[in-house]
Amino acid sequence: MTLRGSWVEAVVAAGAVPASHVPDASLGRGDVEEFTGADPVEAGELRVEPLSDARPLAPAAVCFLDGIEQWRVVGYGGITPIVRAHVAAAVRRRGPDRRLRTVAEATEDVAITRLDRLPAGVRRALEAAGVRVLEVPAEEAGQPARAVAAARVEVQKTRTALERRLGEAGLRALAADEWLVVDGVLSDSAALSEHTRALGVVKSHGAQYFEGAELERALTLPDGHRTSVFRPRARGARRDIYSWYVRLWPWEGNDLLYGLLRLEARAHPETIALASPIAAWMRAERAPVATPDRRWDRLLYPIHGVETYLRARAPSDLTSHPASRIPNPGSRFPRTAS
Amino acid sequence: MIERRDPLPSPPLSSPIGRVVATEQKPATPHQFHFWTANETSIGIGAIVRVEGLGAGDSGRVVYGVVTDGFAYSDLATPLHDVVGAQGDPAKAAASPTVRQEIRLWTAAVLRQTPEEPLQPVPLGQVHVATDVDVAQALRMDAYLGGAQPTAIPVGLYTSGGLEAPVYVDADFLLGPEAAHLNISGVSGLATKTSAVEFLLSSIFQHFPPHKGRVAAVCFNVKGPDLCFLDRPGTLDDEDRRRYQRLGVAPEPFQQVRYFAPFKADGVNLNTLRTHPDLVGEVEPLVWGLREVLDYAEVLLNRDDIDAKADAFIDFLADRVVDKEFEDGFGGAHRVVTFADLERLFRSIFDGLELASRSGDSWRTHHIATMRKVRNRLANISTRCKGLVTDDGPSNDLPWGRFADRTVYVVDVANVDPLGQDLVFARVVSQLRERLERRDLGVEAVVVFVDELNKYAPADGPETYVKKMLLDISERGRYLGLVLFGAEQFRSQVHRRVVGNAGTAVFGRMDADELATPGYQVLSPATKIKLATLPIGELMVRHPHFTQPIFVRFPRPAVLRGRDGVERYPPAADLPFEDAVARQLLKLDRRVRPNQVKDLIADRREEDVRRALAHTRQTRPQDALAHFKKQLGGRVAAVPAAARESVPPLNAISDEPY
Repeated sequence: MTLRGSWVEAVVAAGAVPASHVPDASLGRGDVEEFTGADPVEAGELRVEPLSDARPLAPAAVCFLDGIEQWRVVGYGGITPIVRAHVAAAVRRRGPDRRLRTVAEATEDVAITRLDRLPAGVRRALEAAGVRVLEVPAEEAGQPARAVAAARVEVQKTRTALERRLGEAGLRALAADEWLVVDGVLSDSAALSEHTRALGVVKSHGAQYFEGAELERALTLPDGHRTSVFRPRARGARRDIYSWYVRLWPWEGNDLLYGLLRLEARAHPETIALASPIAAWMRAERAPVATPDRRWDRLLYPIHGVETYLRARAPSDLTSHPASRIPNPGSRFPRTAS
Repeated sequence: MIERRDPLPSPPLSSPIGRVVATEQKPATPHQFHFWTANETSIGIGAIVRVEGLGAGDSGRVVYGVVTDGFAYSDLATPLHDVVGAQGDPAKAAASPTVRQEIRLWTAAVLRQTPEEPLQPVPLGQVHVATDVDVAQALRMDAYLGGAQPTAIPVGLYTSGGLEAPVYVDADFLLGPEAAHLNISGVSGLATKTSAVEFLLSSIFQHFPPHKGRVAAVCFNVKGPDLCFLDRPGTLDDEDRRRYQRLGVAPEPFQQVRYFAPFKADGVNLNTLRTHPDLVGEVEPLVWGLREVLDYAEVLLNRDDIDAKADAFIDFLADRVVDKEFEDGFGGAHRVVTFADLERLFRSIFDGLELASRSGDSWRTHHIATMRKVRNRLANISTRCKGLVTDDGPSNDLPWGRFADRTVYVVDVANVDPLGQDLVFARVVSQLRERLERRDLGVEAVVVFVDELNKYAPADGPETYVKKMLLDISERGRYLGLVLFGAEQFRSQVHRRVVGNAGTAVFGRMDADELATPGYQVLSPATKIKLATLPIGELMVRHPHFTQPIFVRFPRPAVLRGRDGVERYPPAADLPFEDAVARQLLKLDRRVRPNQVKDLIADRREEDVRRALAHTRQTRPQDALAHFKKQLGGRVAAVPAAARESVPPLNAISDEPY
């Protein structure tokens, strides 16, 4: 049996040059930056709805799904980077006792590189190591910087696939009065985007659906309000979904995106009826605040709890250490003095 | 890929309840470690845990620890964030949909590691609740629980999370010769100190190893009726009986108890609260005469009195005069046995010096002023300690040389003048020591229980005889089998060498001020808080085999508590002189009729009656009344003085002035 991470030693022994580089992006997920447009559903144009009279939805139990990704360049075969990645996802259930308990989790460790660019010995060692190897596209493998960027995309894909699989499995186990809250979009999965009690919580706003006055209305949404429900225009394989914004905290004095969440639920008239109760529910989730995470104004505490859980269980050697760039005594770092 | 679908199962009983964690800030060391548990845990301060090493090189290593501190915190970075989350409304904070992640982090002090060498930091292993066997291992009790000659004495039950394990102390370290003495401290009024000692004495009597010989206890009752009913059964509930059974101690009062109390000033009524008619017959008077007192004159005389000259004169009296035929140099022969005899000697000497018209003021090199001072002080003793010290007549004492195995000797000095208490204490303990040295006491070991130790061996104050004697016992008693069980409210107020030499220390509920004193610095804040809030029946025990203090529970003593005793057996009112004498004679001889006694002593001087009674008591004749009558002597009828024949003046007094 090959122990996790031991394949790194195997490829190094086979001639790969050891490396230790944790790209900043490996600690979080990148935002998709694009404009797609949206169609109003609840009203003729995007409106601002107060939540003062809304009665928060209060499900008896809620499952929260989130995932993490961590990766590191662990070696070079020639100039081709060899990346070791760890992705994980978990569902933590909050029952009547208001405590989070993990009910499902999945992890995957992969190696990412371009096999045909590796020296033969290193390649053989990697293939024999028993680790799943993902390959970056051939056109990205020539330049190390582009190869690393491509590796990052592979890591994200692996993570979203893991999340999707866990989320879909979670839906099947969901009780009648239980909701599944997903950190991110629902529209990647048909099952998630069609479920009556699945909710996507999007805290990054790289993708924009409005322009002009409607965009201003969305981004200057006052505290305690939501927008009317709209339908983001489908792009790629994404499914039909309803969405709306809700402001958790006053943005004035901070930033336009401060405390701004975009929610996703199935494209169904019932969702319009539930838009205010769900928005009020999300506002109720402001406490406890998810500090010390810098995104605490938009990060729901239970989602933060899932992340914390996953990071606590992740391999410790994949995170950046303050001293990780100090050459170890056995390295070929040039001596500057005798 | 690893996938798991089920909620985390709740751990079965044998599952670990925690895990050792170590960080750079809070590392595990060979003597301390930290572990976390679930929020709902049976672990608490004082709990004993077992850590099993799992890592490379740690396999097989087992560490036992006792929890000394606990911490709980959440992932809240600052209290302000809670305020923000609740929007300033505490009610909303409680209503948040998710409970913050919390931790229960515990600090434990290492009790024992196996193997003991090499001594290494505690492995980052799993933590289990200790079982009975673990407790025995952790406290190193395995060394004296088994073997050919076990020396274990049950002291209480360690309880934690539903587990209950007996805790034993080692007789070799409680009663000598390895270590000895026990000191118990705690606030008053929680029925802990005296109760604990009563239970422990009972446990000692039932578990004292046969190969160590015979054991007895001498208990000084210094307040109220505390120790007056040790032979009477007390009230126990089912829980107490269960604890007794678990500890292997029979829940019964002491089988053999002998009570000693001095008389009151009238010399016939006993100065004790055990005077109920059903019980007073078992109380023996404690009466001492000149010989008993003179040997301990130093106790009774203050520092100003004891100069070298007075000391020399007292020694002279003790060596050359008392109990010997002695000529005073003025033609008088004396045999000084009692204070009255001594007074006669003094009077004879002073008269002799005056009549001899000598130019000097000395008698046998002793200055008259010195003699007058010593006479004064000694005369004062019989006044201040009237009832304990008799002016004349024989004494009645503890059964020196005939101490019985597993017997408690209660000396009730609760109502005696402090000077008298000192005298009783000094003499009894000195006698114990001397006889244990000579091995002729009757037992091989004696436990001396002294309450209010801060009064007899205070941390500061003058060096009294009693204090010096207590220090001596503390430091050398263990070789003799003379064991001091001392109790006090404030340990910090007792002499350091006395408490420091106590091999076993027991702590009941402590006052917070007391816990702030330097003697408690070694305890963690949590342990101090637990000590400050200890319930009745729970104690913290330190013993040479235990590397850390252990909390134990003990059952209520199976004897009648003092307060309950005086309610069930209310003390009788003092009897008139004649009735008291009759009762004492009746105790010696059931045939004695009170009316006979009353007729016999009618119109007799009380001191004569007391002397005759004391003699009868000491002699214990078959016919007590006849002996008493003989000692009393014949009644001498009063003869009216003959009227003196007056002689008239030669001449009538005239008016003539010349």
